[in-house]
Amino acid sequence: MEEVLNALARALSFGTPLLIACLGALLNERAGVVNLGVEGMMALGALASFAVAYGEAGDGNLWLAVLAAILAGGLSALLHGFVTITLQANQFVSGLALSMVGLGIAGLLGKRYEGLPLFDHPSEEPFILGAMGLALLLAFLFGATRLGLSLRSVGENPAAADLLGINVLALRYGAVVAGGALAGLAGAYLSLVYRPSWTDGMTAGLGWIAVALVIFVGWNPLRAIFGAVFFGLLYYLQFRLQGQSGIPSEVFASLPYLLVILVLALSGLRGQQGNAPEALGKPYRRGER
Amino acid sequence: MKIRLLALLVALGLGLGLAQQSNLKACFIYVGPIGDVGWTYAHDEGRRAAEKAIPGLTTQYVESVKPADTLATVDRLVAGGCNVIFTTSFDFMDQTLEAAKKYPNVIFAHASGFKRAPNMLTYMADFYQIYYLNGLMAGALTKSGKVGYVAAFPIPELKRHISAFALGVRAVNPRATVNVKWINAWYSPVKAREATEALIAEGNDIVAFTEDTATVIQTAARRRVPSFSHYNSMYKYAPDYVVSGQLVDWSVIYIDILKKVQNGTYTPKNLENVDYWWLARERAVMLGAQVGMPINPKFEPALKQATMVVNGKRMSVYDRVMELYRDIQSPNPKWDPFTGPIRDRNGVLRVPAGRRMTVKELNEMQWVAPGVVGPVPDEPK
Repeated sequence: MEEVLNALARALSFGTPLLIACLGALLNERAGVVNLGVEGMMALGALASFAVAYGEAGDGNLWLAVLAAILAGGLSALLHGFVTITLQANQFVSGLALSMVGLGIAGLLGKRYEGLPLFDHPSEEPFILGAMGLALLLAFLFGATRLGLSLRSVGENPAAADLLGINVLALRYGAVVAGGALAGLAGAYLSLVYRPSWTDGMTAGLGWIAVALVIFVGWNPLRAIFGAVFFGLLYYLQFRLQGQSGIPSEVFASLPYLLVILVLALSGLRGQQGNAPEALGKPYRRGER
Repeated sequence: MKIRLLALLVALGLGLGLAQQSNLKACFIYVGPIGDVGWTYAHDEGRRAAEKAIPGLTTQYVESVKPADTLATVDRLVAGGCNVIFTTSFDFMDQTLEAAKKYPNVIFAHASGFKRAPNMLTYMADFYQIYYLNGLMAGALTKSGKVGYVAAFPIPELKRHISAFALGVRAVNPRATVNVKWINAWYSPVKAREATEALIAEGNDIVAFTEDTATVIQTAARRRVPSFSHYNSMYKYAPDYVVSGQLVDWSVIYIDILKKVQNGTYTPKNLENVDYWWLARERAVMLGAQVGMPINPKFEPALKQATMVVNGKRMSVYDRVMELYRDIQSPNPKWDPFTGPIRDRNGVLRVPAGRRMTVKELNEMQWVAPGVVGPVPDEPK
C-alpha cells in the first residue's frame, strides 16, 4: 500500500509540469494554433524564475519568481503569435525555431546561475493542486462558457466564427500567450520546486512529452489530468521496476511515445484526426477558404 | 641589397617562429558546458589553475563539442596557434588520434582513453581507491543494509567504481547490498531524481552516484537520506547529509604535462608510452564532502562508534578510513582495494590471492563485485 501511495506521489510530482505545459499547449491548439516551442518556453520560464528566486544570494521573492516565469513564457509565445497569426507563417517551423532559440537563450543567459543551490523553495502541493484546478477550469471554460465556445469555433472554423462577429485574431493571440505563460509556469516548477536548481538543458525533453500528451488525451483537459499522471507513473516505474520485472526499463521509457502513436493510429482507423480541431495549424486569412 | 633584405626577413621570420615556440598555448576541447558542475567544470577548473601556475602559458577552450566535430574543432584550434590540445572525453578518442596524425607537430592529450601516438598521450584521474573508502562509510551508516547507487552507463569505469564501493560496504557489513539503477545518461537531472526516489522507496537509506549534477544529493536530502559528493564539492547543497565523496583536481595533471612540454621533456615524438593514471598519491583525486573536509564532522561520531575487523583486529571505521587514506596518499601505497583473492558476484575468481589488478585490467573490467544488485549489461557469466 505504501508502495502504491509512493508511486502515486511520484506520478503527481513528475506529472505536474507535464500537466501544466500540456494544458497550455491544449489551450492554444483548441484555438487553432500549434506551438511546438513548449520546450524552449519551459526553459526560459525555468531560468527566469530561478534568476528572480536566487536574486543576489538565494534571497529573492518566490512569488515574483513564478510571475517572472509566466511573463517569460507569455512573451516568447507572443513572438510565435506575431509570426504565425499576423504574418501567417508556418506554425510548425516557427514553433520548432522557438524551441531551439528558447533553449539557446536560456543556456546563454543562465551561465551565472548554473548549478547554484536554492534552499528556500516552494513546496509541490500548491502546484499539484493548482494544475488540477486549472484543468477543471479549462474544462468548464470549453464546456459551459461563451468564451470557450468562441475559442473552440475559432479553432474549428475561423471563417464561420468571423462571420458571427467573433474576433478571430484576438482570441488566437490570447490563447497563444496564455499557452506560453503556462509553459513558462511548468518551467518554474522544474527549477524552483522539482530540482531546485538551474542547469542548461534541464527541461530534458519534458516539453516534447507535453506536446505529445495533448494528442494522447484528445485535446480534453480532464483527460489531461489522467494522461499526465499516467506518463509520470511510467517515468518513475522505469527506475522502480528496473531489474525487478524482467521488462527492460527502455520499454517503460518509450511507452508514452508508443502510446501516442497508437492513439493516432486508432483515431486514424476510425477516420478522425484524433479529435484535433479542424483548423489546427492553418493560418486564418479573411475571405479565403 | 636584395639578398640582405631577404636574409633580414628570414631572420625575422625565424625569430618570430622561435618566439611563438616559447609561448605555450594550450587548448581544451570539452564535451559539455563548463557550468555543468561535474566533469567539464572540473576540467575547466584545472585549466584555470594551470594558466595561473605556469608563466607564459595562454589557454583557450571550446565547450559542448560533439564527438563527431572533434577533428573540425582541432583544425580551428591549430589554425589559431595551439601547440598542446587536450581532448577531455572518452568519445573524442578516435578523432583525436586522427588529428594527431594530421598535425604531427602539435601535442595531443586525451583523457580517459587508451590510444596513443608519438605526439598523443593519455591521462586519467581515477577514483576507485576513494570509492572503497566511501563504501566503508556507507556500510557503517546504513541501518537497512541497503545502499543505493544511481549510475550513468554500464561501462568499465563505473563497474570498477561501483565494485570498489561495494567491496568497502561489505568489508564493514558483509550482508549489505549495493543496489544500482542505471539512468543511461551522464547528464539528466530528471532521471537522477526519479532513480533516487525509486532507490529510497526500496529501502536504501544512503546513496552514492555518478551523474553530472547535484540532483541525487538534493533529492536524498529531502528524504533525510545521507549521500556522497561526486566530482566536485557538493557539501553546500546539503550540509547535513553529505557524508564524504570523491573529488578531482585535474590541475596537477595539466600543470605537470604543460611544464614538461615547456622544458622540452615532452616533444611531439616521445609520447607513445606516456599514460597518466593518477590517483590520491599524486593528489589528482581526494576524499571529501568538499575540498579540505574528508569527512563531514556531523558523521564523525557515528563512524567512530561503528567498528570493523581488519586482520583479526577490531578498529573503528573512522580510523580505518583515515589509515587507508593516509596510505594511498603516501609515496608508496601498500594497500589497494583490488588485491586478491576477489571473486565476482557470480562466484568466479577474478583476482587470485596476492595479486593486484593492473591498470589495463581495471580499464577493461566488465564483472562486478559481490553485493552489487541489479542488472549489469555485458557482465561475463
